[in-house]
Amino acid sequence: MSSQARTPRKADKRTRLLAISAMFAALALIFSYVEILIPIPVPVPGIKLGLANLVIIIALYRMGFKYAFTINMVRIVAAGLLFSGVFGMIYSLAGGVLSIIVMYLLYRTGLFSMVGVSMAGGVCHNLGQLLTACLLLSNTGILSYFSVLLFSGIISGIAIGIIAYVIEKRLPAFAE
Amino acid sequence: MIKKADVILLILIVAVGLIISFGPLAKQAGGTDVKITVNGETYGIYSLMEDQTIEISKDGHTNVIIIEDGTVRMKSSTCKNQICVDHGKISLIGDSIVCLPNRVVVEIEGKGGDVDVISG
Repeated sequence: MSSQARTPRKADKRTRLLAISAMFAALALIFSYVEILIPIPVPVPGIKLGLANLVIIIALYRMGFKYAFTINMVRIVAAGLLFSGVFGMIYSLAGGVLSIIVMYLLYRTGLFSMVGVSMAGGVCHNLGQLLTACLLLSNTGILSYFSVLLFSGIISGIAIGIIAYVIEKRLPAFAE
Repeated sequence: MIKKADVILLILIVAVGLIISFGPLAKQAGGTDVKITVNGETYGIYSLMEDQTIEISKDGHTNVIIIEDGTVRMKSSTCKNQICVDHGKISLIGDSIVCLPNRVVVEIEGKGGDVDVISG
């Protein structure tokens, strides 16, 4: 429309990013739901694909830490209220915060590719959840689950990282 | 797409992860006591040598734990995922059955060796 003809002002850019953030949060929430529908044939809690991280990692690369963090928080709180309940939400919050901070720091170093960043994010998400479980149950014995969650986090993190890399290359610019 | 640094990161994560996983469980030996924790509070300590059935009813959840022939198992639980029931028997120091939904933890403890990994 006419706004595309003239040079976008700063406010236009902010509005665009806001709209994209809202869409990303909705998409991440849908991925959280899709994940529940996919049964995983392993009797260990915490193993999942981490589809929502796909959205978060692209947001981190394209829009920066603040946007990615906010989208992730919105996603976790909404998914917690809708699907997993308050306790599930506490675990996800711990995992989500730890994983996005680690992913941001790795991204900032510029040393790692999206695959490496996503892999570390996946593992940290599981670690954050497990540490919360240790705190809530006052029991460090649960950490033995981490050996399983470690490899599941690495595998799903790498898979998500590869998908994110392919998608991110094909996405048009968000705001000029 | 995948850089050298990613491979180094992978090795590092696996190494640190395995240390975290197996560090607290380095020593394993047959236990003598069964400690049951509910909501982070100690519910009771039972002898592993006496066969008995313990029923825990709290906050509307019920877990039935059976001690038999020096092993402990979760016979039934009102939780949705039944992971604790599927866990099977445990008998070694440091072993645990965790029912996250009902917040019940069953742990094996032993007298003697320094195996106190519980904090808080």
